Amino acid sequence: MATPIVMVGRNVGAFANTVLRTSSVLLNVDVCGIKGRHVIFSQECRLQRPAAFHTACVLRTAPAITVTDEPDMLYQRIEVQVKGHDKTVLDSYEFFATVAAKELGIDIGKVYEPPKNIERLTLLKSVHIFKKHRVQYEMRTHYRCIELSRITGSTAQVYLEYIQRNLPEGVAMEITKAAIERVPEHIQNPMWDGIPNKDKASQ
Amino acid sequence: MAASSMRTTVLSFGRSNGHCLGNYAFSLLGIRAPYSTALSTNNAKGFPDRASRMPRRARREPGEARTEKMADNQDWTAVYPAAAVFKPSAVPLPVRMGYPVKRGVPPQKNGNLELMKIPNFLHLTPAAIKKHCEALKPFCTEWPAGLDSDAACEKHFPIKVENKEFVSAGTSLRNPKARVVTLTVKLSSLNLDEHARKKMVKLVGDRYCKETDTLTIITDCCPVRQQNYDYTMYLLTVLYHESWKTEAWEAEKTREDMEEYHWEGSTSQKNVLDTLLRMRAASEGEEDPGAVREELLGQPTVQEYKDSVTRLKNEGETEEGMLQYREAVKKLLNI
Repeated sequence: MATPIVMVGRNVGAFANTVLRTSSVLLNVDVCGIKGRHVIFSQECRLQRPAAFHTACVLRTAPAITVTDEPDMLYQRIEVQVKGHDKTVLDSYEFFATVAAKELGIDIGKVYEPPKNIERLTLLKSVHIFKKHRVQYEMRTHYRCIELSRITGSTAQVYLEYIQRNLPEGVAMEITKAAIERVPEHIQNPMWDGIPNKDKASQ
Repeated sequence: MAASSMRTTVLSFGRSNGHCLGNYAFSLLGIRAPYSTALSTNNAKGFPDRASRMPRRARREPGEARTEKMADNQDWTAVYPAAAVFKPSAVPLPVRMGYPVKRGVPPQKNGNLELMKIPNFLHLTPAAIKKHCEALKPFCTEWPAGLDSDAACEKHFPIKVENKEFVSAGTSLRNPKARVVTLTVKLSSLNLDEHARKKMVKLVGDRYCKETDTLTIITDCCPVRQQNYDYTMYLLTVLYHESWKTEAWEAEKTREDMEEYHWEGSTSQKNVLDTLLRMRAASEGEEDPGAVREELLGQPTVQEYKDSVTRLKNEGETEEGMLQYREAVKKLLNI
């Protein structure tokens, strides 16, 4: 390719600000655990209630979107796997995730349902004796997989944070990211361009 | 025992009189009723002290349900702006959920615990998702147009780094699998010459896959993912530079260490020469061995035989390989 490919990253420091304003569920959530730079927003949002979110996306102050020169990460594939005990909840979540991806312009690769896993236990029914009388329990884990392809680091950060904040209770998520990078400069040429033995002797 | 007997006498006294004594009898006898008895008047809570201090608030009747006042074209994102419990008075749908009683239907939505327990997505209707995404759009970046195929990605960005992230509820936020980093790179995309490539393959051992020509480095020795990533890059750098070096002991490489089969100097070559020399000697007399050798090796039949043997040894035994070998041998021995 003749044209050089330049990636530009976006500072998503103001992202949490917007998200917190747009969904009031986060009023009482402690965001300290997620990322360092979001700590300050947990106090801000308690003071400013997002009363007028639904009328229009009018934010109190203009979001400070800073465009940095730091090159953006590139992800060739991001696989989001959710697991839970209720299949209908996962169905709804899949609908939400796919609609959100389409709205943000992310290519959706494959959306499929790996087979469920049932773990069964057979325990004694009584505290003492009665070995012939048992009780059986089972735990069903349903899975759902959404594969996204060719997504930039900023978009991935935005999308994944949005998805994770709206993850329902009782559902766990596992994300596999495959980032692609250039060959670093120090690997492009061998450092012993001269005679290898001489370099070794000098070291 | 004494208290219970006293309580029963007080009760009978109250009933016989025809009017209630209220709390005075209890405070006189020093008995505290933990629950309302026949003697208590309008003391629903059953705490004698609190009733005398605070006037009892009149019970408010619940007003009209919000569902009655909803218009058809209302903004649903105003009713459920965030994740909330299912409120039957706020959701205008005639939803029924639960196990039906005998000869019945699932219970209605009012006071339905099943509907309250299950997580609902009423705050994530398509309209709400669109609004959220509109607000999030400015923070997204476009994928570069030139990298629209896997081949282009591979060409410009040959190194692939994989890692996992976990989101779950539990006593701990940590997941030990989150720090594993896997680096995959094709050796053809690195700047290696023949010797460096062979040395690299020997250095990494099992981590190299010959079919796909990929080197895979998996690290999880460091406690933090960033550290593991730095370590994989460091390993790649060291492997690269070490493979370009030629050590003194590499000159001792024997035939067994070679990765591929070379026909020159092998027993097959010796056997072929012997056979051909004997065939020659049967027809002609003694000649200069060096020149004869060169001449014999230069023949096209010998070259074909060399190709077929090299192919069999390097690629394994296949139908085509065996047929080619058969043809070459037939030509060589003039069968």
